[in-house]
Amino acid sequence: MTLYLPIAEMSVSVLIYLALGAAVGFLSGLFGIGGGFLLTPLLTFLGVPPAVAVATSSAHVLASSVSGAVTHYQRNNVDVKMGFVMLAGGLVGTFIGVEAVHLLRKAGLFELTVSLSYVTFLGVVGTLILIEGVNAWRHAHKTGAAHSLRKSGQHSWIDGLPLKIRFHRSKLYISTVPPVIIGMFVSFMSAIMGIGGGFILIPAMIYLLRMPTGVVVGTSLFQIVFVAAFAIILHAVQNQTVDIVLAAILITGGVVGAQFGTAASERLRNEHLRILLGVVVLIVATRMAVDLVTTPGDLYSIGSLTGVS
Amino acid sequence: MRRIVCAVLFMMLVLSLMSAASAEPAKESVEADASTRQVAITSSFTGTEILVFGTVENSVQPSAEAGTYDVVVVVEGAPAPVVVRRKSEVGGLWINTSSMHFASLPSYYAVASTRPVDEFADQAVLDANEIGFEHLRMLPARLGRSGASPAELADFEKALIRLKERERLYVRSNFGVTFIGRSLFRATIALPPNVPVGPLVARVYLFKEGRLLGQYKSRVMLEREGIERYIHDSAITRPLLYGIVTVIMAAAAGLAAAVALRRPA
Repeated sequence: MTLYLPIAEMSVSVLIYLALGAAVGFLSGLFGIGGGFLLTPLLTFLGVPPAVAVATSSAHVLASSVSGAVTHYQRNNVDVKMGFVMLAGGLVGTFIGVEAVHLLRKAGLFELTVSLSYVTFLGVVGTLILIEGVNAWRHAHKTGAAHSLRKSGQHSWIDGLPLKIRFHRSKLYISTVPPVIIGMFVSFMSAIMGIGGGFILIPAMIYLLRMPTGVVVGTSLFQIVFVAAFAIILHAVQNQTVDIVLAAILITGGVVGAQFGTAASERLRNEHLRILLGVVVLIVATRMAVDLVTTPGDLYSIGSLTGVS
Repeated sequence: MRRIVCAVLFMMLVLSLMSAASAEPAKESVEADASTRQVAITSSFTGTEILVFGTVENSVQPSAEAGTYDVVVVVEGAPAPVVVRRKSEVGGLWINTSSMHFASLPSYYAVASTRPVDEFADQAVLDANEIGFEHLRMLPARLGRSGASPAELADFEKALIRLKERERLYVRSNFGVTFIGRSLFRATIALPPNVPVGPLVARVYLFKEGRLLGQYKSRVMLEREGIERYIHDSAITRPLLYGIVTVIMAAAAGLAAAVALRRPA
């Protein structure tokens, strides 16, 4: 069954895109991530114009984030206060990011920036998650107990910053400066890379803010809901690159896949999940790094003068 | 009765002989049209074919295979600006280092002819009428940061045509026009599913011994219809509402999934 997409202006096989949505949805349910970093490159690979891929992925990210965030909220795994503090920075970051995209495109450096950002962030974050997962797994094997990341009495330079408030759900009393900056930075990168940013946000919350792992995924999803919604509207208004038909197909596959992913995640151990996520992220990073260093089949490419990427 | 018929036939014979014997044979010209004036782009659109057909007026061609005339059919989409980028290796990485902007280039271009155009027509005529990929007027709007020599410009132009051909947006069919009988000819032009939506212009040229005898122009409209049209118009004319609807749709789908498939916590 084929369908003509009104914005992407191409005829696509519905089944392939349903399957793609489901596969990415499965992973996002499994790991508690939006999955934009997988979906955007895959859509481009299938021939969707990059600008449409970036904008339309946001709709898929929004659907799976809402689904995940609601579930986590019902289980009291969302630090709403922390989410809003990060969001405050996030909205500013998105604005700056969209402006940066404009400037980079003018200078002809956009594509390179995106590739390098993907390789760097996915590479670093993937490696961190993998190392951490392997350590936790070893530790769990030795002691037979779940590994806790947070050690009481640990102090860092973050404790010295002003504007402290209490985050009850996270059991933290910290300055609002780091969460705002993290939110701003992640949203900035999201706008440039066309992703939700969960895979940067989650490690930042664990390692920099030292939030309890239990609330990290829920809070990250909660924040991403708003950032993704904001991104969709921004893309729709500025670039007219959101394809609502493609979005509907991806979302349909995505919400079904996400439920299977969530079910699967309940059967897997936390540290195994982290190792798996690390591996998936590293595979994507490697794939992009290979593209950057190998001689391209065709040195030339046609660029469009409209749209984001 | 029979006598009258005979007389009429005789008169006609005399008249036709007279006209044939007059000083000059009537000048040939071409008339043509497309099988469809309007192509609807609906949700089931997977590309289509249009038939361009026409006739040579006052044809002196003895048969379809004689090859007295050469016909070229050009179908092109609305012109649009385009940028071509070239990668090169910088410190081990392949990155776009130079680019070329072309101010206006047909978004779609199909050329079909009775035989390769360069075999029968003058370069000047082909250039003037933009018949054939090599004869398109490609004006570089502004040079990339590196500045480009004529050789580099030629490389960019060649790459652009190659890339457009790969996307099936530039199509060449060297023997795509066929004569059926002494004066009637036809050509089928394939419109791929990714054809840019907009008006198409079909141009038909008639050549004899390398001389351009006549041309004919016709229009084909490519238009979105039904739900496709509604969605596309909404995205363009009411972008904020369109964005909000997308957000609501995505959020509702996520919410529905979370509620419908909820397991006990």
